[in-house]
Formats: sequence, structure tokens, C-alpha cells
Amino acid sequence: MNDKKQLLSTEQADFLTEMMNIGAGNAATALTQVLQCRVDIGIPRVLVIADVQELSILTSPSLPVVCARMGMVGDVSGGLFLIVPEEQKEDLIRLAEQAVWGAGQSWRAGLTSQESDDLKLSVIAEIGNIVAGVYLTAVHDFCKLNIYHTVPTVATDMVQALLDESLVRLSRQVQYIIVVENEFMVEEKLIRIFLVMIPSVESVNILVNSIGQARMAMVKDGG
Amino acid sequence: MGRGAVTTAPHIILSSGLGSCVVVTLYDTKRKLGGLAHIMLPDSISLNGSHPAYKCADTAIATLIKELRSMRASPRDMVAKLVGGAKMFLSSDDFGPGIGGQNILSVKRILTRRRIPVIAENTGGNYGRSVEFYLDSGKVMVRAIGRENMEI
Repeated sequence: MNDKKQLLSTEQADFLTEMMNIGAGNAATALTQVLQCRVDIGIPRVLVIADVQELSILTSPSLPVVCARMGMVGDVSGGLFLIVPEEQKEDLIRLAEQAVWGAGQSWRAGLTSQESDDLKLSVIAEIGNIVAGVYLTAVHDFCKLNIYHTVPTVATDMVQALLDESLVRLSRQVQYIIVVENEFMVEEKLIRIFLVMIPSVESVNILVNSIGQARMAMVKDGG
Repeated sequence: MGRGAVTTAPHIILSSGLGSCVVVTLYDTKRKLGGLAHIMLPDSISLNGSHPAYKCADTAIATLIKELRSMRASPRDMVAKLVGGAKMFLSSDDFGPGIGGQNILSVKRILTRRRIPVIAENTGGNYGRSVEFYLDSGKVMVRAIGRENMEI
């Protein structure tokens, strides 16, 4: 079986949660600008899981979702996913349309359904781009790690089906997956966004060491 | 993911959320018993140390056959069906069949070596699948979002 030792100490896990909390704050600010309306956030749930099976704590493996897949390059490499449950996808797209065109308007008038679907996915890709960027900014601010993400590709399907190839590719040995579950309230609609980080095997230690060092530095500063 | 099960009629084995993973079902048509493995990797060679048997094609199929034999199934009466092995994201940075394609090729190669015929498959494409394996008939129901259910 996999070596299932704890990746992070309790203190380090708290630090990671705090970092992702700031990331969620950044994301809310970014979404406010994109959607042109007030965005409230709940405290994100941050989980580090060491086995694919544990993904089922969060959602059913067959949950229909839309997913923007990006690669991470730089100090930490791996995969980065922004996942929105299918039921909330339309809300998010409607809010984005409203922000650009005003209430009740649609940029999709006169398009074929294929063209319209492509545009919707492109909206999700753009949101994925923005949200991933601000999360990585939080990681940079805390850990001084420069991580960049590649251009997203988007697909809609069952959540586990979308993730399995990357899980296999990136983590042939012990698998550590960082999952951040965010809840945003936008105009009385609850939008859940999952951010899934799969650091490559070579990157896990870099990430853990940086988290450890950054936490120690913070403890010292705090006196 | 990376798991498997064996059982007898009239049970059903479920496996959901297959992307690049491959489900292989083995069914002993005479004794109405069989097993299913949800395989993640084409082989176990690249893995260091121990790993769950059902994770890789080679060890998964060997384990399935061993388990079924212990239930008095005979490999001579077994037939196989394959589902999955999709390529979920079409992007410019990875060409070739991907892990999904490699998984399918590897499973087929191993089954050929073991002389177990693949009598049906629903593989490839760019969409995810869920599987129900009915042990009373050996039928496999394949479900996918936005597509009609397929019985193979």
C-alpha cells in the first residue's frame, strides 16, 4: 500500500489553510471585478489527501462538473484544476454575461448551440485563468515560490473522469492532492468552486519545505 | 479507482467516473461468476515498491484471474469486456493516445496472452463513463453524461 504518512504537521496544515484563505479572498476580489457585483466568501475547506479514494469525501466521483485544467510550471510543477459543479455553471455564466452586457442580455443571441456551448466553456476557461492566477499569487506572497500556470483547457464530464489521467500521470508514487473547496455567494446564488493542486512527485518536497520555512519565519516575526 | 471485485450472480458490480482508466470485466459464462477491475496504469514496471494490485493492468488481470479461480472459475470459459480509456482533454501539448490509449493496448495484449477473448468494448473518445456489470447475464451497461446508455 501507499506510504500514508502525514505530509504536513498540524501547524503546517493550518498555515496552508491560511494561505488558501488569502487565495480565496483574492479570488473573491477578482470575481467581484469580473462579475461586477458583490461576492461574499465562506471559509474555504482545505484538504491534503494522500489517496485518490479520499476524493470521495468531497464529492461523488460521478458528479457532473465543468473543469479547467492547467499545468503548473516554475518552482513547483504539476497540475492545477478549477472545478465548478455543473448545476452552478449556468449561474456563473449568466453572472458573467450580465457583467459584460447588462441584465437580461446575452452575447449568445443568434449563435448555434455548438457555438454557444464553446463560448460558455471559454467563459469558464477565463474564470479558471483568473482564479488560478490569484491563488498562485497567495502562494507566492506566503512561500516566495514562483509558480505559473499554463493556458487552461476546459471539459465537462464526471469529476473523477476528468482528473484520473492527471492523477495517474503526476503521481505514480505516493499521491498528495491539495483540494480547496470554496463557497462564494454571488447575488444570492451559492457557487462552489474547487481548486485542485496536484504537485508532481519532485515538487512535493519543495512545496512542503517552503511552507515549513515560511511558517517559521512568520512565527519569528510574530515574536 | 485502482480497485476491483469478484462476485457471483445475481450481483452487480459498479464502477463510476472512468476517464483514462479502463474497466475490464471477466465473466465465466458457464458458472455465472466474474470480476471487474478499475485499472489506472498500463503496467506496474514503472512503479517503485508495493502498490494496490488492481491499479495496474498486469497485476490487476493476474489478481482477477486468481480470485476467480479460487471461486472455481475456469479461464477457458472466461470472456472479457473493456470500457473506458478516454482522452478527456484535447490540448496541443500532449499528442498520442495518452494514458487511456496505453491502458487499452496493454489490457488487450495481456488478455491475448492469456487467451481470454475480448467480446465487446466501449473505449476511447473524449468522455467519461460509468459501468454496471451484471453477473446474472454478463452484460455491461455503460453510462455517460449526455449520451444514451449502451449495453455491451
